[in-house]
Amino acid sequence: MTHKSPLALSAILLLAPLAASAQERLSLYNWGDYINPAVLDAFTEETGIEVTLDSYGSNEEMLAKIQAGATGYDIVFPSVHMHDILFQLGLLAKTDIGKAPGFANIDPQFVRAKTDPDAEYCLPYAWGNVGIVYNKALAGEITGWEDFFALGEAGKKITLLDDLRETIGIGLIMTGAPVNATDPAQVKAAADYVIEHSAGVTAFTYDSVPQVISGDVAAAHWYVGANLYVSENPDTIGYIIPKEGATMYQEDICVLESAPNKQAAQAFLEFYLRPEIAALNVAQQMNGTPNLPAQELIPAEIAANETIYPSQEVIQSLQIFEDLGRDLQLYNAEWTRIKTSR
Amino acid sequence: MSLERRKRGHLLGLLGAPTLFLLVFFFGPLLIMLVYAFLTPGLYGGVDWVFSHLNFGRILGWANTRYETFDPVYIAIFLRSLRLAGLTVLSSLLICYPAAFWISRMRPGLRAFAIFLVTLPFFVSLIVRLFAWVLILRPTGFLNQALMGAGLTSTPVEFLYTDFAVILGMTYVFIPFMFLPLYGAIEKLDMAQIEASFDLGATRWQTFRKVVLPATMPGIVGGSVITFIPALGNFIVPSVLGGAKVLMIGNLIEQQFLSARNWPFGSALAMLVMAAVLVLLLAQTRLARAKT
Repeated sequence: MTHKSPLALSAILLLAPLAASAQERLSLYNWGDYINPAVLDAFTEETGIEVTLDSYGSNEEMLAKIQAGATGYDIVFPSVHMHDILFQLGLLAKTDIGKAPGFANIDPQFVRAKTDPDAEYCLPYAWGNVGIVYNKALAGEITGWEDFFALGEAGKKITLLDDLRETIGIGLIMTGAPVNATDPAQVKAAADYVIEHSAGVTAFTYDSVPQVISGDVAAAHWYVGANLYVSENPDTIGYIIPKEGATMYQEDICVLESAPNKQAAQAFLEFYLRPEIAALNVAQQMNGTPNLPAQELIPAEIAANETIYPSQEVIQSLQIFEDLGRDLQLYNAEWTRIKTSR
Repeated sequence: MSLERRKRGHLLGLLGAPTLFLLVFFFGPLLIMLVYAFLTPGLYGGVDWVFSHLNFGRILGWANTRYETFDPVYIAIFLRSLRLAGLTVLSSLLICYPAAFWISRMRPGLRAFAIFLVTLPFFVSLIVRLFAWVLILRPTGFLNQALMGAGLTSTPVEFLYTDFAVILGMTYVFIPFMFLPLYGAIEKLDMAQIEASFDLGATRWQTFRKVVLPATMPGIVGGSVITFIPALGNFIVPSVLGGAKVLMIGNLIEQQFLSARNWPFGSALAMLVMAAVLVLLLAQTRLARAKT
């Protein structure tokens, strides 16, 4: 290095912000680790639009921030029921993505939001199911919720998600009620089911996969994303969609009404319609994409995994959460009862 | 007269800014919470401006509607939180009291280093430190491996996700809060008084009861209060080390504001905690005034 380089460096530092301000920007607000960084790099490389990414931990956290007046975000990734809420609160911008030429790639069964039946606002992004991750040596080959709770009865340890809808949802499935039940008697019966079967439940937690791998816990209520860990420890752990039924989730890509860069956001939605881009995301995220041609491009071991891409019959047996409005309070009260039942 | 006025002007200048700060950033939010506690929850978080006494009715006994029903579980959770916070104060006092004596008798260089060690945990994120405890306490963790290696137990002992883990975790978190006020009181202890007590024929126990304990009482009370208050409202430790199964009032409040979208009920619960803390502080000042 010559003695001139510090000067050259400071010149670059001075000029860089000027260059950036002339450049277009896009600001994403997404769940943590929920998009392949390579997708964002590819977008920047092609369009020159600089992408920034912030993350949130729950739909409610995101909604609270947006409602509290957080501006500057262009795109959010709400679950379907939160997509409906954002629409009803007037927080979404119309994109007409459903009319984009590439939208023919999207499997129509994934246009799920009731308030957006023609995809005038948001683009279906990714989906998955919530099932059981288990330690093969401790749990054996389990098939469903009955086996899962039987482990607890047999003195082994199991964990449930610290999520009121998901956990009461198991009780609803096992008592034959829909997971969006609003009948207080059904919700109470579901909570009773969970309480009666909570013998081996050591914790309500999201941090369970490492404990299943180490053998501290025999099985855990967890997301399809467990397949990432299964692929690293194929002899130790496994993941199943319970045979009695399970819940599924789906997130959509939405542009906010308050977005400062609506054009860049629109460009991103159209970019994400491309099969090779959706497939690039799946290769790292190991989740489901609603983009049909993309499913042909993803790595074979992911496409062949029946817990990630189940048969149509299984897909139809999965239930998705809807917004319950005031009736969420029924679950709130029962959830407190479950957590204090020991 | 003019001197008096100038003094008053000085005082206003000095106290004006902090008073304004407290009004805006402390009493303001408190007032908002108090108002919210008497409103109806908004459909998607926030509040509807409709008066409701049912948030307190759910806790105290008169609510009976589809969404707001009295359940003694809320009082039970509150009592459990009081118990866990009380036990946390007790265990950190038992650890810090002798430790403060020991450190106050060290030579100055070593003493400064020991105090630095007590505050060292503040340099690392709380969440990281608590997950380290998960690794220590879990069935295949260090503690159980050590116990089994030493032949003290053949099967792993349940440490994680118990009341014990929560009290241990909170004690660990709040030790610096207990230690510093205690140390302040113990360092000022006059050794001549203790020697005099022995010279006059008092036993070790009598000296402790009649001389050392009263002299260090302000530190004990101060440390206890400053530990008890955050322990009562803590929700991170019970969530990580209690597996969200050892539900404390802080967890319940957090649940109302986030997943349950019921801000008014959360505010009402927070008011309950605040009332308990206020009673405690009043009792403490009464006690302190009665002593002097």
